[in-house]
Amino acid sequence: MDKKRDVWQGTLALMILRTLDTRGAEHGYGIARRIEQVSGDRLMLNYGTVYPALLKLEQEGSISSEWGVSDNGRKAKFYKLTRAGRAHLKREARQWEETTDIIARFFAPEELQ
Amino acid sequence: MRLAGPFQKERREREMAEEFESHFQMHVEENLRQGMDAAQALREARLKFGGVHQTKESVRDGWTVLALETTWRDLHYAIRGLRGNPGFAAAAILSLALGIGASVAIFTLADNLLLRPLPYREPGRLMMVWEVSPPGNNRNSVSAGNYLDWKAQNHVFESIAVFNERPAAFAEGSRVEELQEQFVSADLLPMLGVQPLRGRLFTAAEDLPNASSVVLISYRVWQSWFGGDDGAIGRTVQVRSRPATIIGVMPPGFYFRDRDVDLWEPIGLDPAHDYRKDSGRYLMCVARLQPGVTRDRAQTQMTVVARRLQADYPQSNTRWNVNVEPLRDSLVSEVRVSMLVLLGAVGLLLAVACANVANLLLARYMSRRREMSVRLVIGAGRGRLVRQLITESVVLGLAGGVLGVVLARLAVAGLLAIAPADLTRNIAIVVDYRIILFAVASPMLTGVLFGLAPSFVASRADLTLGLRENSRTSVGGAGLLRAWLVAAEVALSVILLAGAGLLFRTLAGLQSVDPGLNPAGLLTFRVELPEARYHERLQRTQFFERALQQIGRLPGVESASAVSYLPFNGMAAGTDLAIAGRPRALPGAGPAATVRTVMPGYFRTIGIPLKRGRVFADADDTPDSPYRFVVNQAFVEKYMAHEEPLGQQISVDMDDTNPFGEIIGVVGNVKEGALDQEPTPTVYYIHAHLAYPGMVFVVRTPLDPLSLAGAMRRLIHDIDPAQPVAQMRTMETVLRETFARQTFSALLLGGFSLVSLALAAVGIYGVLAYSVTERTREIGVRVALGADPRRILKLVLGGGMRVVLFGALAGTVGALALTGLLKSLLFGVTSYDPATFATVTLVLIAVALLAAYLPARRASRLAPVDALKVE
Repeated sequence: MDKKRDVWQGTLALMILRTLDTRGAEHGYGIARRIEQVSGDRLMLNYGTVYPALLKLEQEGSISSEWGVSDNGRKAKFYKLTRAGRAHLKREARQWEETTDIIARFFAPEELQ
Repeated sequence: MRLAGPFQKERREREMAEEFESHFQMHVEENLRQGMDAAQALREARLKFGGVHQTKESVRDGWTVLALETTWRDLHYAIRGLRGNPGFAAAAILSLALGIGASVAIFTLADNLLLRPLPYREPGRLMMVWEVSPPGNNRNSVSAGNYLDWKAQNHVFESIAVFNERPAAFAEGSRVEELQEQFVSADLLPMLGVQPLRGRLFTAAEDLPNASSVVLISYRVWQSWFGGDDGAIGRTVQVRSRPATIIGVMPPGFYFRDRDVDLWEPIGLDPAHDYRKDSGRYLMCVARLQPGVTRDRAQTQMTVVARRLQADYPQSNTRWNVNVEPLRDSLVSEVRVSMLVLLGAVGLLLAVACANVANLLLARYMSRRREMSVRLVIGAGRGRLVRQLITESVVLGLAGGVLGVVLARLAVAGLLAIAPADLTRNIAIVVDYRIILFAVASPMLTGVLFGLAPSFVASRADLTLGLRENSRTSVGGAGLLRAWLVAAEVALSVILLAGAGLLFRTLAGLQSVDPGLNPAGLLTFRVELPEARYHERLQRTQFFERALQQIGRLPGVESASAVSYLPFNGMAAGTDLAIAGRPRALPGAGPAATVRTVMPGYFRTIGIPLKRGRVFADADDTPDSPYRFVVNQAFVEKYMAHEEPLGQQISVDMDDTNPFGEIIGVVGNVKEGALDQEPTPTVYYIHAHLAYPGMVFVVRTPLDPLSLAGAMRRLIHDIDPAQPVAQMRTMETVLRETFARQTFSALLLGGFSLVSLALAAVGIYGVLAYSVTERTREIGVRVALGADPRRILKLVLGGGMRVVLFGALAGTVGALALTGLLKSLLFGVTSYDPATFATVTLVLIAVALLAAYLPARRASRLAPVDALKVE
């Protein structure tokens, strides 16, 4: 059960980083909404779970936070990628690509080997 | 900017709450826009969020993990840093341990001996009431007559009681032991608020002259004699050869003024008797103030009472006054000065230790500045840096603190072993944890403070400046600060050394004083004959005669005699006397002398020289022989300065009848009370005419005196099996105990100053070593340019010694100012004694030179290649 959660948390962290990469600065609610949207509503995400993940990312130094004002004038905490975070994201993305590539080879039809 | 501590947690909680709140609001708004109603919107938002409580806990877990990780990492880093620099770590921890150890040890002792409240109910309201003699002794014993009148006439005490002490033989069957017994009036123990452990206290009816004898025993006696058995209550024992019933047991550790007392008995004063007719001043008086009455008011009223008594009883009370003194003051006054001096010394030592630690930290961080700057540049928060520095100081502080507490425990045990016995008998040392906290906190705070200093330096200055390697700007502000610290350490050490030096010279002075007798090879022991079995005076004289005869026949005994009070014991009887042919003076206004009663052969045995006339012979030692006296030189000088003393008649106020007697001899002075006081006039009786039941035997032997102890005990036992022998010790031991206090103080202060010196030496070494390291390039250049290594040596040494000399000068000035405080402890040496100060300065300079020499030599040996290579 724990391992699954770890994997899930790792994936969530990636998704958050990617979201921030595309969207720039965003608040917790916005990030959660966005993740749901991007996954095509296929992920049933409890919004609250982004917050522990955001904390961990901030502790690692991949994101930084700042209080600001949302579009409708609400006070909200905004997160954005740090330089280290961007590097981390690039690294992880590359790894994903490689992994997917290798797996794809295994599942490819026989002739292409 | 991350701050440490509880504020951060509060802020984080608040922010988390705000963030979640705003999350909900945004979600609800979104839902409303999509057409849900208020209730629905809220419900959907909540559902979508998931468990709020759970989420909050997850976030909090995240905080904890981080905090733990960071702390662990800091700790790890700090320990690694210290291990990589063992010299620095050892020096810092040792400095801390020594400073903390000394402080805790002395504060503990001072607390237990000086500050702890007396173990009685409301001890601040207990007063000693003394008589004040016309010459001005304001702690004079009290007469029974005056006490009874005080009791009747005062308005300020809710109770007032008297007491005194004597040794007593305590026996049951054939077992006998000499105990110290306190005689108390019935209201004394209740006044103290003490409850017996078993049984009960005395009643008023038992405190009358003819009441049957009842006694209270101490816990120790209850255990050692009766095994803690409750059956001891009601048992009849023999006290001073008279039967007495035990009615109670006092609690363990209970004492009143004398820890040695094991037995209490009612004093049995008769309120109807006129004590002024036949007894003198031999009691001590303690009283409890009424609620609301101050000591001053009591003093005023008692003075009025005293005046009234002066008028009513001119014969005994003219010019005698009253002194009301808080009980605590009367107990600690002699010790107070020594204790305060020691506390002062400890303060100085702690300061030196702190200075050392500060110095070491500064030096170390100065050399790590570059590293600090680098870490700042790559993004470690300044807060993080500060945390790491503090962690290191805390680690040092804890290590030093633990070691220090261990040292303190050893020190306390050691100090108790060498402390004067009368201060420490039966004491139970209680350690106050506030003391430990203070002693550990102060160096740690210093460490933290100085540990933080470099973080300010490193972060305020231009970071690139720090990165640029340089040896020039290093000896700048911080270098000066370190030099000042070393100078301060040196100054403080000088003060401690000067104090110790003066005390040692005092000790030497005391030991070289001629006591007036020959203490070597003398065995002493006391025998106290009970009045019940030795009622007749002749019986007592015969006992001592018989004992001395037999002792004289023992092999190894050169001569033997006995005296009522041994010199240097601090105790002696004293009274007025009259000289024939002169008008009789009022009591207290005329000649007075210390009185001793001796057996024949005393002066020869103890080594007091005869100056004129003759000493007592056996023929004098009969009750029928005419009264004869021997006096000392001080007596003659004071009262018969230009006259012939031999043949003059004097009468001394010791007994019921005091016939005039002829002075037959003059003997040399003995420093009666203490070695550093002038001898008092003394009159010696022969035992037959003043037959004290208790005498101290003195036996001169060429052998080791204590080897005869067993033989003496057996001999006395053979004469009277029920008679215990007490205080068997050599005369030299007695003499040594006279200046036990000075020895103790001197040793303590000597110990401190040595520690301080060691710390200062470490400080000097440390500063110079680092200075050399930093100036390595400069030195290398000099050498490359052809400088003589000896010049380098002198250069470094010179720099160091300048600081030391400055500190020594400041210290000497300070010492001159402060040693005046020691005056009351000094003997034979002034508080500004030039020889002592000169020696101290020389010792300090020698040690400083040694400490400075090593780094200086290292500097002079630097090969230019190595020097220039260092970055």
